[in-house]
Amino acid sequence: MSSMNLEHFFPQAKAWVDTLGDIPPGSWVKGPKFGYASWEVGHIISLIIIGGTTILMNLRLLGAGVTQEKPAEVYRNLRVLQNIGVIGIVVTGLLIGAANATKLYDSSAFTVKMMALLAGIILTYGVSRPVAAANGAVGLMPKIWFAIGGAIFLTGLWMFTTTDLIDVGVYHVITAAALILIPVTRGRLRWGYIAGMAALIVAQFVHTHFVIKPDDYDHLNPVNKTYTALYAVWIVGTGLITLFRNRGEEGGPLTKLMAYFGILVWVLGAAAGRWIAFQ
Amino acid sequence: MNGLQASINAFLNWLEHVFGKGPSPDGQSFSEALLGSLNFWSLLEGTHLIVLMLFAGTIMVVDLRLLGVTFRKTRVSVISDAVLPLTVYSFIFVVISGTGLLFAKPIFYYHTVWFLAKMLFLALALLNIVVFHGRVQATQGSWDADETPPRAARMSAAASLILWTLVIICGRFIPYDVYQCGKAQPDFINWVQQCKTSEKGEENMAGQRFDSQMWKEQP
Repeated sequence: MSSMNLEHFFPQAKAWVDTLGDIPPGSWVKGPKFGYASWEVGHIISLIIIGGTTILMNLRLLGAGVTQEKPAEVYRNLRVLQNIGVIGIVVTGLLIGAANATKLYDSSAFTVKMMALLAGIILTYGVSRPVAAANGAVGLMPKIWFAIGGAIFLTGLWMFTTTDLIDVGVYHVITAAALILIPVTRGRLRWGYIAGMAALIVAQFVHTHFVIKPDDYDHLNPVNKTYTALYAVWIVGTGLITLFRNRGEEGGPLTKLMAYFGILVWVLGAAAGRWIAFQ
Repeated sequence: MNGLQASINAFLNWLEHVFGKGPSPDGQSFSEALLGSLNFWSLLEGTHLIVLMLFAGTIMVVDLRLLGVTFRKTRVSVISDAVLPLTVYSFIFVVISGTGLLFAKPIFYYHTVWFLAKMLFLALALLNIVVFHGRVQATQGSWDADETPPRAARMSAAASLILWTLVIICGRFIPYDVYQCGKAQPDFINWVQQCKTSEKGEENMAGQRFDSQMWKEQP
């Protein structure tokens, strides 16, 4: 896919978007010496607050992290921080977005980030929080919101994976999915999973440095894509085992699937946001 | 230029332009290859930010427990035992990705005030951890279940929150060229950044320029 940016969907808005950096609040952000950088810091700190707290809450639903407390207690202690994080992300995002509107309007990574933000809010507020509050029990509304938020998340992930120049960023999501499984798995499954992952990394390195020359891009591309698919199969396969292996955690496979999505959606948002600069 | 400064510059120059460079005149050093890589440098930078989400996010939760803001009904040891392994796990990735980024542009970072300030605050944050584990935590048994831990623990947690925030602020300011060697800027910034020994030289607010002899001597 070549590009799925906002200009593609709303071409008539270009003249208006081009003015946003020169009028408040965009001009307020760009004006002072440290203005833009300061709001970016606010954006990153908000991301840390929402990311850190949703990871902890969802890890609890996966049977890792603060396991000595019930999921409802973890949720009760983190919900205010999550609200602060989301408000911070939206407010600072609007401000730096207004100052940088022309670039974002033309950026596929920004479209992915907006989809991840929408999905992240739905999956956190409509799914993970109610499920954690109910100690892992999944009611009808979380199921409905999971269908909606999950579909938006997967569509954003698909766009990230298939859009030229940003598709490499999907390695962040794959890496996060791989790393989440280390604290979530136990015993022999954990070591087997790590050994398999290490073998894949070594095999890819040998293949792309010694079997194929590192500057032979025509052959490297399909080989790297094949390894990406192998990583995904290994990670998803191990993830599926953890869904159905009950070790006394609250909730069943659907609860855990929701928790995985609840973490990865914020990683997708952060990765797409960073990739705006690289596109 | 004193001998130490000359040695540092020579080392940084070797690290960035010579280390790993083969016999071919068109060859690249490891550092240049990393910076010029098609995607690897970008992945490294993205990883540094994303892992920061878990690292700083989990530190924040532990610090807020020590401040008596969150998880007040839960023992401090329960939170720290459950959360700090995740912090350490993510810190390993922060350090690896950060070292990679430094290796790609060592001369630039050495002459950037934000990077130097970041390293200073990072060192202070790590020192704060050592002090916490060595002194404050020694008495934890007596206040582990307290909703509001004692003043020493709260001070350490507040210092941790402030220092890690400063690390993040300075890290984010690094790419901005507000202060840059070769541009007119205050003497203090020129001194901290050691601009006199940089490739771009030094210029003060009065417009006086000082160019480094070392770089002129470079072939």
